[in-house]
Amino acid sequence: MASFVSAGLIGISLGAQYALLALGFTLIFGILGVVNFAHGGFYVLGGYAAYSCVTFLGLPYPLAVVAAMLATGALGYVFELFVVERVVDDHLATLMLTLGLYLMIGTGIQAVYGPESPQFGFPVTGTLRFAGFYMPLENLVVLAVCLVAIAGVYALMYRTDLGRGLRALADNRQVAATQGLRPKLLFPLAFALSCGLAGLTGALVTPILSLGPLVGEPVLAMAFLTVILGGFGSIIGATVAAFLVGLIEAYSVVYLGGSKGALALFVLVLVVLIVRPSGLFGKEARGA
Amino acid sequence: MARFSQFGGEIAAIAILGLSFLVPFVTDSPFVYSTQNLIAVAVTAAFSVYIMLRMDLLTFAVPAFMAIGGYAAAIAGLKGGIVDSFALTALSFIAPALVALPLGILILRLRGIYFVLVTFLLTQILQLLIFETPDLTGGTNGLVGMPATTLFGIELADNRAVLLLAIGVAFAAAVITALVSVWLRREFAAIEENEVLAQSLGLVVWRYKVIGFVAAAGLAGMAGFSLVNMLLTAHPTSFSPQSSVNYIAYTIIGGRGSMLGPLVGATLLVWMSSIFSTHGEFSEGLYGLLIVVVVLAARGGIVGTLAAGYRRLSGQWRAGGSAAPIVGTVKEAAHERG
Repeated sequence: MASFVSAGLIGISLGAQYALLALGFTLIFGILGVVNFAHGGFYVLGGYAAYSCVTFLGLPYPLAVVAAMLATGALGYVFELFVVERVVDDHLATLMLTLGLYLMIGTGIQAVYGPESPQFGFPVTGTLRFAGFYMPLENLVVLAVCLVAIAGVYALMYRTDLGRGLRALADNRQVAATQGLRPKLLFPLAFALSCGLAGLTGALVTPILSLGPLVGEPVLAMAFLTVILGGFGSIIGATVAAFLVGLIEAYSVVYLGGSKGALALFVLVLVVLIVRPSGLFGKEARGA
Repeated sequence: MARFSQFGGEIAAIAILGLSFLVPFVTDSPFVYSTQNLIAVAVTAAFSVYIMLRMDLLTFAVPAFMAIGGYAAAIAGLKGGIVDSFALTALSFIAPALVALPLGILILRLRGIYFVLVTFLLTQILQLLIFETPDLTGGTNGLVGMPATTLFGIELADNRAVLLLAIGVAFAAAVITALVSVWLRREFAAIEENEVLAQSLGLVVWRYKVIGFVAAAGLAGMAGFSLVNMLLTAHPTSFSPQSSVNYIAYTIIGGRGSMLGPLVGATLLVWMSSIFSTHGEFSEGLYGLLIVVVVLAARGGIVGTLAAGYRRLSGQWRAGGSAAPIVGTVKEAAHERG
């Protein structure tokens, strides 16, 4: 029973991380129609940015996390404005551009920091014991920050004019544009928001999991799984599916062992594609 | 997209690969042998990406299908005692094609983005599957000790014979690619130019996408067999998910408008990587940069840009890019296939 509860807590904590990543990914897809292959790259970049701030600038960790989020967001803004924007309606071209950026980020990190994983630990350590089950404190901190960030994204998307504008663009770009919304202003902002979320997740999670030039790839795969399960472009779908994926992964590690959880998730995705291709909350997904 | 003449790219690619059979007889430099062997594998795999790109689909599944083909051939050699090169090549084509068929029917009816993401996941998953099935695939140890392959009963054991087999596989892959792209030329063009229009005029788009996907999977499988035969081992690291972007890079940078593109791209980039192998960690970043340059500045890649330059020099202008010929192509294709 104790291990059941512990695994559940770990699963929720994982789910919160996946939700932040998947939210960013699905926002860009919903609003711009762009599949951002560099999303995993921004996650890695966020980790290295926080690491550099702590190690070389001596900043306290919370400030480093904020700095990492701002830095990745700024890079995303610039990349959208000057590169992606030029071919934004060509799905294949944007896919290739973001893939190219991902490769350059990976090589850039290797060139600056080397291929080995740097020493980057979480500042809070210890374990919370409560009624027989236990949970590492750093996971709790990450979970709390992730939940606040998710709430922030929801508040931004559903309670502000910027969010309403972004959702309008996602619903129907042409109508939104005739109503006075300017894609050229909002697209880079949306990209910055999404990349900033990936950077935030990286800064938070890499000290616990691991930091290295290649850690972005499995993370990207998890974001893909989540977004297919939740339904493309759906904010609620991405959130719900992320927690589902996190729980399945945590429980399968405990009860099945090894990588069977990832295999089970892949099979689940195939089943969803057969039964309900639009995903759990696919109503908001874009048509062809 | 500009093409030389109607089938110029296909003919040129097959001819060049045919001529490359001569290289092992001209030199016996180990550097040339190993590099040409790697190029032969890379070209075969890049053809797989090329076929999918003809339909505006980006595939990350090449390493997955390479693994299926390569392991199928290795297991057939180890456990079934099959050593005939033709049988093994055919097996390495058929095994991944059989996996691709149901998967393609499932995901190619959906929007293109599903295809991209599922192929990405497939490559990640196949690695795990190899680790989870040590009895069949050898797990992390891989499979070693395959018997040497034979051609008409003659054992292909020395370096030259292995290289000749790799060139032979690449040549066969080129012929298959040419046949598919000539056979479905109009359907592919219709899908690439305007899928919605093609569909509205009665072309059953997903059916042709599935045919292309099955062929592409088979080609990747042949590349996997070629790689396993060269390394004398079937090992999960040969089919890493990261390698999928290499094959994409070869095709896009070489040029996706002509069959010469993947050939030129794979040859140049593999050759470059062999020369600068001490700085191998930077090759991916270079590929990334070149992909960005191609997308923003030189849509046709190396081959397309050179061809456009040549046409401009020789003054052969051809009108292109208007809607009328596209509708014509789509209508023609829809009419013929019903």
